[in-house]
Amino acid sequence: MYLDHAAATPMDPKVLVAMQPYFTDDFYNPSAPYSPAIVVRRAYEAAKDSIGHAIGAKGEEIVMTAGATESVNLAFNSIGGHVVTGNIEHHAVLEAAKLFEHTFVEADPRGMVTADSVKAAITPETRLVSIALANNELGTIQPIRDIAEVVRKEREARLGRGDHTPIYLHSDASQGVGQLDVNVARLGVDLLTLNAAKVYGPKQVGLLWSASHVELKPQVRGGGQERGIRSGTENVAGAIGFAKAMELASEHRRYESDRLSKLRDSLESKLTSAFSDAVLSGHRKHRLAGHLHISFPNLDAERVLFALESRNVLVATGSACAANKGTRSHVLTAIGLAPEVADGSLRMTLGHLSNDENIAKAAEIIIEEVTREYERVRAR
Amino acid sequence: MTKVYVGMSGGVDSSLTAALLKEQGYNVTGVYMKNWTQDLPGMKCPWADDLADAKRVAVQLGIDFKVFDFENEYKHKVVDYMIEEYKLGRTPNPDIMCNQEVKFKLFLETALEDGADMIATGHYARVENGVLKQAVDTNKDQTYFLYRVTEEALKKTLFPLGEFKKPQVREMAKERGLYTAAKKDSQGICFVGQIGIREFLSQYVEQVAGPIIDKKTGTVLGQHDGAIFYTIGQRHGLDLGGGLPYYVVGKNMDKNEVYVTTDLNDDTLWKPVLDLINVHWINQTPTEGEFTIRVRHRAALAPATVNFEGDTAKLVLDNSERAVAAGQSVVIYDGDVCIGGGIIA
Repeated sequence: MYLDHAAATPMDPKVLVAMQPYFTDDFYNPSAPYSPAIVVRRAYEAAKDSIGHAIGAKGEEIVMTAGATESVNLAFNSIGGHVVTGNIEHHAVLEAAKLFEHTFVEADPRGMVTADSVKAAITPETRLVSIALANNELGTIQPIRDIAEVVRKEREARLGRGDHTPIYLHSDASQGVGQLDVNVARLGVDLLTLNAAKVYGPKQVGLLWSASHVELKPQVRGGGQERGIRSGTENVAGAIGFAKAMELASEHRRYESDRLSKLRDSLESKLTSAFSDAVLSGHRKHRLAGHLHISFPNLDAERVLFALESRNVLVATGSACAANKGTRSHVLTAIGLAPEVADGSLRMTLGHLSNDENIAKAAEIIIEEVTREYERVRAR
Repeated sequence: MTKVYVGMSGGVDSSLTAALLKEQGYNVTGVYMKNWTQDLPGMKCPWADDLADAKRVAVQLGIDFKVFDFENEYKHKVVDYMIEEYKLGRTPNPDIMCNQEVKFKLFLETALEDGADMIATGHYARVENGVLKQAVDTNKDQTYFLYRVTEEALKKTLFPLGEFKKPQVREMAKERGLYTAAKKDSQGICFVGQIGIREFLSQYVEQVAGPIIDKKTGTVLGQHDGAIFYTIGQRHGLDLGGGLPYYVVGKNMDKNEVYVTTDLNDDTLWKPVLDLINVHWINQTPTEGEFTIRVRHRAALAPATVNFEGDTAKLVLDNSERAVAAGQSVVIYDGDVCIGGGIIA
């Protein structure tokens, strides 16, 4: 019973089938001049076009990377300047932002970074605003379109007074892409990060899309691949797999979001009726379909995680990285959860591996184990 | 119900210790002692997995679990001590110091303050009324590391594994389905980790090249990168090329010289008499006479006549012991009772 799809997704077998030939038969270097290599190069370009199509962009505007962390770093290092981002962002964004003058906008208790708070944080020197499409811990979906509007107005105001300092909006949409419509034009972003591993594609495959008016700076120099922005022989199989994963996601998105939100709601209602003092975090309405963040006050979430693990129910406590370091999640602190609530937090994220039967079974086991822990704590 | 705090390291021994005590009806709390480890930038801390395993077993057993943070004290009392001893040209034993200063002092005190009646660890040793005895599994016996623990501490300590042999411990852990039942035993000095003592020390002391000298002929045979890194009796790491193996038989820390020989019968390699300082007796001071002694963990017990004065002792051995270095501990036994020991002067 895998309830951690936000950490990693199992690769779709169709994705694997699409990738396989590019490891063996079609192994040629896309830069080589002979015709079998040209076939591979075309397949690579077609994969990028196909991914571009899925997000309303052109393949040539995409730089393939080795995952979202690299994409985020490429975006920040290309643009720099004063940056504005949320205090609940992923470590990749927070750490990249710390290299520059930065303002961390405070999220509200539901984990939302409002357009107004972003607006207040923008200074005349701000060059980059970066807000994830959906928060990886809470599942809260951010008002990217409203934030894009704020950025657009700021840009116009600058031009109006003859100030040519650019300002761009970047969004890491890795967490949302399987469940939300991610279209760069509709979102109004200038840069977008995606990660194949979160959408049933291969790990170490990501991309940074940037609008034609954004100039990226090369971080990895060499043979000039990816428009010279990221040299190195292309990960052809990775791109093919990513394209297939995006295609499947687009195909199933509506059905899958409905299915997952129903499953999630049933899990949520079972847990909240069993434990009346459980605390739900994240936005009630604007939340990823498969996401459930629940805290059991005064419990040690890691104990619950281990108890569940021994019964084959795999969940997360806060974000995976924060759990490993043995420190409290910065997200939960940022949204103002009391320590005794934050420390009893579990994140359950549903996905392809979830179904009626195993979610019902998981709910039963979670209720048993949480009850057992509460009994132990109360007996002290 | 007697409340016992069990030091749980995330290994199979301390896991089974907690399980057995719980079965025996004790009110058991698991405690992970967070000792000092070297933090390498950007690397996942090496103890995180062990802590998680200890906690997993605690959850499995349904017992409380705590983390005691002894990082500063451990660094001060154990790591710094070890580095200082090496700088003086001696060969210290940090595990003995850890037991004396951390496990059976700081951990005990902290546990008692926290409401414990007793502590327990997964050591292979037995304790009866404050008397320390060798483990039933003489091959695993860890009393060598425990000779500096006090009687008062031992009176508040349980060693449930002392009655069992290691294979039985694995078997019992497996029978109980303990998460750590098949986990590999840890090796070597914990905080040094995988890098080895030499590399560890070289981060704290300057590497200064010096001569390797043949003790008999006085000829310089080669260069070493610091006398501190060599121990009496050591054979490896001399890098002197082919021929008969060379052994370290002496060093001069002031001159940074290391003396070697190919003669296995060299008199500095063999000690018929051992002079001890900082002698510690666990129970009352014994009567001088015939005892057995051990110069390193798992070494065979050797007969010796023990005379002492104040906190020093002189051990006259029936048969010479090979390669005993200053700083090393010698532990003294009366039958299967570990009565104490001291440090080679």
